Order: sequence, then C-alpha cells, then structure tokens
Amino acid sequence: MFGYVVANMEKLTDEEKQHYRSFYCGLCKTLGNRHGKISRITLNYDMAFLIIFLSALYKTENTIETKRCIMHPLKLQQFLYNEITDYAADMNIVLTYHNYLDDWQDDGRILSFYAAKLFEQEYKRIASKYFKKCAAISSCLSELSDIEKSGEPNPDVPANCFGQLMSEIFALREDEHTEGLRAFGKSLGRFIYIMDACLDLKSDLKNERYNPLAGFSSADFKSILILLMADCTEAYKKLPIEQDNNLIENILYSGVWTRYEAANKKTKGRQSQ
Amino acid sequence: MIADPYKVLGVPPTASDQEIAKAYRKLAKKYHPDLHPGDEEAAKKMSEINAAYEQIKSMRKSENSADRGYGYSQYDPFGNYGAGQQQRSDYSIFDSVKTYLFAGYYQQALHVLSTIQERNAEWYYYSALANAGLGNRITALNHAKTAVQMEPNNPKYRRVLEQMQYRGQAYQQQSEQYGMPLSAVNLCINACITFYLAQMCCLCCR
Repeated sequence: MFGYVVANMEKLTDEEKQHYRSFYCGLCKTLGNRHGKISRITLNYDMAFLIIFLSALYKTENTIETKRCIMHPLKLQQFLYNEITDYAADMNIVLTYHNYLDDWQDDGRILSFYAAKLFEQEYKRIASKYFKKCAAISSCLSELSDIEKSGEPNPDVPANCFGQLMSEIFALREDEHTEGLRAFGKSLGRFIYIMDACLDLKSDLKNERYNPLAGFSSADFKSILILLMADCTEAYKKLPIEQDNNLIENILYSGVWTRYEAANKKTKGRQSQ
Repeated sequence: MIADPYKVLGVPPTASDQEIAKAYRKLAKKYHPDLHPGDEEAAKKMSEINAAYEQIKSMRKSENSADRGYGYSQYDPFGNYGAGQQQRSDYSIFDSVKTYLFAGYYQQALHVLSTIQERNAEWYYYSALANAGLGNRITALNHAKTAVQMEPNNPKYRRVLEQMQYRGQAYQQQSEQYGMPLSAVNLCINACITFYLAQMCCLCCR
C-alpha cells in the first residue's frame, strides 16, 4: 500500500499513541521472526491499521510484551501480537513481492528484480497456505496492470479493481463479517487508489505517464475523495466494532488526509513565494 | 459527440491503442489545467481532448465486445430498446433504462445508455443512477453534476446530486471534530526505514 492509512498523532492521547505504536512494533517483530530480518524494510502503518481494525472486530486475545528494541535502545517498547499480526505480516510480504515484481516487469528495474527474488521463497510459502487469497490478489493486480496499460480514461475502472484487491485483504476468513469487511476494504481501496492518483497527477502529466485522473482537474479532487471516504466510514459503521473506536475513527476521519494536506501545503507555499 | 475524434488527437483512425494513449498524454502535458493554471484556452482545449479520447476508447471497447460476440442484445430480458431509435410519440428511449434500473440490472442499463447518441440532461441523470448502482462513484458524481448543469431547475436531477453531496457533508462534519493533520510525516517512520536500509546495505556487503 502507499502509507495513506495513518493516524493523526496530535489528536491521540499518550495512551492511544502507545497502543498504536505497540501494534506497529508488534508487526515489525513478527515480520522479522516469520520472514527474516530483511522483511522489516517492508514495515508500514497501513498494515498496522489492518491489524488494529481486524483485532477490534474479532476481539482477539493479545499478547503484550515490554522490552527494548535495537532502534530505541534506551526506551522500553511495547509489542502487541495476536493471530492477525501473523496474517498481516504474511499479506505484507505478498504485496511487497508483487510490487517489486511489477516494477521489474513494467519498468525493467534490475534492483526490483533482486528485491523480488529476495522475497520469492517467503511468498511461495505464504501462497501455499493462502492459496485462494493469493490467486485472487495476483489476478486483481494483473487486471489492474492491464487497465493501466490500456490507458483507461474512466477512473472508476482501476479504482474498483484496486478496491477488489483490498477487499480480499480485509476479508480475513469466511464468517458473518466477511461481507461487511469486503465492503469496507473495497471502499478504502478505492480511496487509496484515487488519493495516490491525485498526488501523482502533476508528475505523471509531466512525464507522460498513465494517471486515472488525467481527465480531471485538481479542483474536483477534494469532493471526490470525501465521497469515497464517506462510503468507507458508512461501511465501518455497519461493522460491530466496539473497541479502539477512537483510534480507528482518528485514522478514518483525519489521518487519511495527512499526505494530501502536506502536499497541498507545499503547493500553496510555493505559490505564495 | 465529436465528428472526428481522431483528428482532435492528431492520429489516424488506424492508430493502435498504444499510439492513441501516447498522443493523448502528449496533449495532456501541453494543455492540462493543473500544469497551466488560469489558462482558459488550454482548459477548453483539454476538455475537447478528453471528450475525443473517451469517445475513441468507448468506440473501440464496444467494437471489441461485438467482435467477441457478447453484446447484451442477445440476452436482453426486456427487449425492444433501440439503437435504431424508432420512437413513437409516447415512447421514451429511457423507458427500458428505467426498467433495468428498477430491477437492479445496472450494467444493462448502462449498455442501453451507451447506444444513445444524444446526451441530454436526462441521459446524464440515468447514467448517474446506473453508475452509482455499480459503485462507479466518480462517474456517478460527475454525471449527476452535468445533469444539474444542463437543467438547473429540474428538481429530480438536483435531488440525486444533493443526496450524494449530503453523504459527503456528513463525513466532513465528523471530520472537522478531529481537525486536519498538521505534521506531515512521522519522523520516526523515516528513522526506522533509514535504519533498515542501512542494515540491508550491510547484508549486501557481507
């Protein structure tokens, strides 16, 4: 994913901040333990959100450890693990592997080829465990790549395809929540894809690359993005989530705009100079 | 509809899909309002280019599906919509679209709409409804806006657009309680990434 699904730290209490970090640190440790130290370079807050969200819905039993970490040798850190941490670490490797593979196949970046090779073995191990899920993810990604190559002018087409991919990731297993999670994942995926296209528009235009929003002007973006997030929060409200609500809502109502706001501030700053 | 969309993009009708996409991106670089703020001529030119590109894309798409033989008309349960457009005075071309929409056959409704040449406010209104049903949020919003722009006094069109915008407002209101994020990037994330990149280098050197 792209690092859009993060919290607005300023509006979290100290306790919430620590709780949020403990999911992140737990994921970091789990990545290292399950897939080798090198896999920690793939660590991101998007996946931490997946863990927080699914853990809250499924009310998982969490193990919390307090210990030191090499990154912060002086401070004690909290690490939170549960079954979903394992799942998210696995999915993170799947996405990373495909990401590098696409970079190699589309742009011929040799470094990406070696990076993909680095994760290939782990990917195969995960793919044999989550056979159906991994097949669905890779078919979404190849469809998305075809759509982008064809130069599709309608942004809904690739956005829905990416939404489908995210719905696979959020649908942890088949049960009474599957449908609700799919709807949530789908709408969040649409938002992420369109947000990414928004922020890349100028550079894509300059470099004559595909951008799904090329037919739009950035004046329209905010209202589109707001509608997509409205869908997403409506899907969230339909799920019976009763813990960590403030943290989750902080992310959905404010944090997801972090990079958008930062980019706008930058352009505004440049204009006023 | 543009009489000769290929001419707008400056490519022959025999051009490949790739050549067309390339021509479009070249023109977008030249005229897109984000790269040329305040230039109204460029903005006008860009909307013409967009329309031409969309028209070519949809023409080629329908040709492709006709070639492969999965036109919708073959299993059209409600029948009698017409690309032929033989209209009696009491028959509206939108009747079959309405029937499809009512039954929840959004894809079919969209297909009938694509056969209608003249795109008036009513066309955009029904297209907005069909696209909304399919989860095509951006197209739905845009077409609802276009319908209202073309006929600002039609309460039916305005209601659809207001309904969409109302949902956005509800989100925004709750969003305002949190306020927009101020700090751009959490420095700690960067520190972590730098650290592991450094570690990766060490692995490579060994």
